[in-house]
Amino acid sequence: MELRVIYDDKHRAYWNMGFDESLLVHLSEIGPTLRVYGWNPPAVSIGYFQSMEEEVNVSRAKELGVDLVRRITGGGAVYHKYEITYSIILPNLKGRILDSYHLLDTGIINALKSLGLEAKQAGINDVVVNGKKISGNAQTRKYGGLLQHGTLLIEVHPEEMFDILRVSDEKIRDKAISSVKQRVTSLREQGVDVDFEELKKYVVQGFKEALNARLYEDTLDKKIYDYAHKLEVEKYATTEWNFKR
Amino acid sequence: MPQPSGISRGKYALKDGKLVVVDATFDGDIIKNIRITGDFFLHPEERIEYIEDRLKGIPIKDVKSVIRDAMKNTEYAGISPESLEIAIREAWKRRL
Repeated sequence: MELRVIYDDKHRAYWNMGFDESLLVHLSEIGPTLRVYGWNPPAVSIGYFQSMEEEVNVSRAKELGVDLVRRITGGGAVYHKYEITYSIILPNLKGRILDSYHLLDTGIINALKSLGLEAKQAGINDVVVNGKKISGNAQTRKYGGLLQHGTLLIEVHPEEMFDILRVSDEKIRDKAISSVKQRVTSLREQGVDVDFEELKKYVVQGFKEALNARLYEDTLDKKIYDYAHKLEVEKYATTEWNFKR
Repeated sequence: MPQPSGISRGKYALKDGKLVVVDATFDGDIIKNIRITGDFFLHPEERIEYIEDRLKGIPIKDVKSVIRDAMKNTEYAGISPESLEIAIREAWKRRL
């Protein structure tokens, strides 16, 4: 398989989601594509089925300058700051959607292996190291293709995270923080010192091996960016979309 | 969060931590309005709006069959026809 690679920078949440969707929409023209990127300013993305107001302290996020966006994929709320995100766009794979999570998570598992960590798939959509979650992933299938995006944690800061994310009861905020400390880990916590730029290469290499792909970089047609911008402005930056549930 | 007057909430938490939350209003045993939220997966995603629309205006006794029909040809994880039905029945029991 030929796999187009986009080594991207850190962008606003609305652009990130618009660009991922535009890549998926244009799959038949651009072919299988892997993008590695980050978020600036920091952001919270919520799953398609979640309620923004239930998941996020919206006024606190505004105060801190944290962007809020709804994904087109399911799953939970993610705080995007100390991590790398990937998106991979492919023609639909055969078989059950939920089974294909496992195949694509192999990209992240391979990257972790190259960094000296033994990782494995856990639950529906997680990758774990030493029994603790280090990566979450979510997939959708539309426009004749599939999009899976996911994150790999470089650091984890539960106190900062729960300053923005809501827990169901204020009294159990401390419990939520200690639970994340027990259940979630990061590259730093596992003794791996790697920065965002270096990590991009490991993730790309991990997917290259998982898909037995030949990698290439090429410029994208302007219309891909134009459509991403349209989605950024008319969909992902809108209250209508982000607060629709 | 406190719910606006008239809305009752039912929840179903799966062992893996995924949560299904139902916020609904009822008129007797008829579902007037319903919103289903959570960190689950459902493919295709937009089917959730169809499921909600199908549930509006039906009596609570028909919930099981309507959910089963509306969730046909979907793939899901962290939610199921059974867990959704339980969450709706819990919301109904808690109605004001």
